[in-house]
Amino acid sequence: MSDLAIDIRNVAKRYAEHVAVRDLSLQVPRGAVYGLLGPNGAGKTTTIRMILNIIVPDSGTIELFGQPHLTNGATDRIGYLPEERGLYKKMQVRRVLRFLAELKGVPGKLAEARIEEWLERFQLRTPEKDWGLAKIDELSRGMQQKVQFIGTLLHDPDLVILDEPFSGLDPINAQALKDTVVDLKARGKTVIFSTHLMDNAERLCDAVCIIARGDKVLDGPVTAVKAAHGGRVIALAVGGESRPAIAHILADRTLVSRVDDQNRFYEINLAPGADPQRLLQRVVETGAAIQRFELVQPSLHQIFLERVGASGVEEGMSGQG
Amino acid sequence: MDKVSLRKLGVVFKREYLERVRSKWFLVGTLLGPVFFAMITVLPILISTKTHASTDLANVTIIDATGSGIGERVAGALRQRFPLSPVPQVRSVDAASIGAEEDRAMLAVRDKETRGYLVLDSTTVAGTSARYAGRNAGSIGDVEQITSIVRQQVLAQRLQSEGIDAKRVAALTGTRLEVRTERIGDSGREQGSGLGAAFLGYIVALLLYMMIVLYGQTVLRGVMEEKTTRVAEVVVSSVDTDTLLAGKIFGIGLVAVTQVLAWVALSIALAVYGGPLLAKKLGAGAFAASAIPSISVPALGALLLYFVLGFIFYASLFAAIGAMVNSQEDVQQASMPVMLLLVSTVIFMTPITTNPGSALARTMSLLPFSAPILMPLRMTLVSVPWYEVAGSLAGVVVACLAAIWVSARIYRVGLLMYGKRPTFGELARWVRHAG
Repeated sequence: MSDLAIDIRNVAKRYAEHVAVRDLSLQVPRGAVYGLLGPNGAGKTTTIRMILNIIVPDSGTIELFGQPHLTNGATDRIGYLPEERGLYKKMQVRRVLRFLAELKGVPGKLAEARIEEWLERFQLRTPEKDWGLAKIDELSRGMQQKVQFIGTLLHDPDLVILDEPFSGLDPINAQALKDTVVDLKARGKTVIFSTHLMDNAERLCDAVCIIARGDKVLDGPVTAVKAAHGGRVIALAVGGESRPAIAHILADRTLVSRVDDQNRFYEINLAPGADPQRLLQRVVETGAAIQRFELVQPSLHQIFLERVGASGVEEGMSGQG
Repeated sequence: MDKVSLRKLGVVFKREYLERVRSKWFLVGTLLGPVFFAMITVLPILISTKTHASTDLANVTIIDATGSGIGERVAGALRQRFPLSPVPQVRSVDAASIGAEEDRAMLAVRDKETRGYLVLDSTTVAGTSARYAGRNAGSIGDVEQITSIVRQQVLAQRLQSEGIDAKRVAALTGTRLEVRTERIGDSGREQGSGLGAAFLGYIVALLLYMMIVLYGQTVLRGVMEEKTTRVAEVVVSSVDTDTLLAGKIFGIGLVAVTQVLAWVALSIALAVYGGPLLAKKLGAGAFAASAIPSISVPALGALLLYFVLGFIFYASLFAAIGAMVNSQEDVQQASMPVMLLLVSTVIFMTPITTNPGSALARTMSLLPFSAPILMPLRMTLVSVPWYEVAGSLAGVVVACLAAIWVSARIYRVGLLMYGKRPTFGELARWVRHAG
């Protein structure tokens, strides 16, 4: 039994106008919460669709739990919540859910029992009202999102793939989704989610992979990624009146490659080869009132900007994800 | 097809079938169908009996320029045939003043004093022609009646001029012959009248067309719904597009078959309980003429086969269109080519019904896109050689496979492609690269 949930090797997908994924390899360990990060158009959705065998890669191999993903029924172990969500509008909630469960191979009786469990858990069935009998288009947007989650998880998948799960969610459902992810992890399931929101990834993920323009930029456990990028970021706070005095130092490209003004402090990326001590010395020389000077662990957001740059964000626009 | 795909096919099939059969519209359509068919079957009978009973047919002006008294004879015959009608006016004139008399008669028709006028001249005596003008000149039944009376009277006049006694002439010519028709096929004499067969063929072809259009478009709408609601992505992550497409087409096809079977059952019930009532009202003769001719079992099998193949052919094309479009506005334009194929088929229904042996009929019943509708029509009218049926079936099967192949590819790519409608160039690329 492989200890990898997903093993992608040298996968590529080209379209007539552009390359969606260029020679991508990545490994997702079993039981991990894994973030697939990248700007819009980086190739996240294409990668996910290839894992699910919705799109056939031009080259490369994909294995799920140690088996080729084309193996019969292999994708039935995946629960998928796509970025573009929707359900049959005129269909009754219970029937939609039962249909989705049966497609994944859950026998009707078992599906029915689980549907009741989930409806109750997500408060779609209360003593006053049973929304399970309503048609999808009679539900509020938030309730439809809940039904969609249930549909994703009803067959108790070993691997859950969530594509931009937080986009368009109201805060309550976002919290419910986060709780669900934590719960899935606790039950030994593997969760992959793609996002361009680094804060979510930072809070939830054990490991991440950053892709941009169809290429992998970096991957690995979050702690390792941060450690690898540590020591090059400095949090600097000075008294408000001293700010103008140090402006010319921050503009010095031999010392500082990028500054992110966080209002209460500057988040400074050191230029390649620059010495933090030299920076401190220069600031002290100006006589500025230093309140904080600290070598910090960069946020994923910082790492992302540093490695991908603003250009990577700009160019992502094909809509193929 | 492997076991997993087969199970998934079943799940998709079940959803497509049950969701539609359970809908209100299906119930309404199923109940109203027989009423509609009763209307289109009974109405023509009602109309034709009404023309038989047309009582004021004799309310005409007869312009007699023969100088032989045929005008009076015709008037007499008309009076006799239509005792309830206002009596015909006979104007005996010379050939030169026909025009003036016609103008006068026309005014009378225009002012609705008479229904029309009949011109008898030297050509009538010669037995070649007469002329009728009137408001009912377009009614085949009325003109047929007048023609037969004039013909009879010219004949009577000739017999009398040969010296035969007037009473004998009346006895000899006073026949009202009706021709009953019977069809002869490969297996000899067949039950039911030839006209009944024509009527049945027409209904069957119309029904085939209707079901293909209605349920073909249901497939289109179903695909479009999955695409526009974005449910498609969840579904295709669990089942491959070929299985999904097949399940959809079979599921909806079975809905169509269910509906037709329900219609047949309801119609039989209606005929059994409503038929005698109708017969009493219209007179047994009128109803017997249109009694449903029996169909042989092989013919029924062929009919079902043509429906299934025709439906698969058109449904896969409609599915491809559903996968191409993103909005209701696009649908009409995008489905135009397929609708044109279907409509061009229907246009030929009438010429083929009247002349089922023509080259046109043979060609159209062999072309794959029209064969599913027009071959069953031809088969109910005349006996078609087995090799023509086999050839047309083979053609339809090939066309089906081609349509499925192309459509499955367009469907696979188009289902998750949002944005503008593809151009022909892009479609061709979808088909090429969808492997």
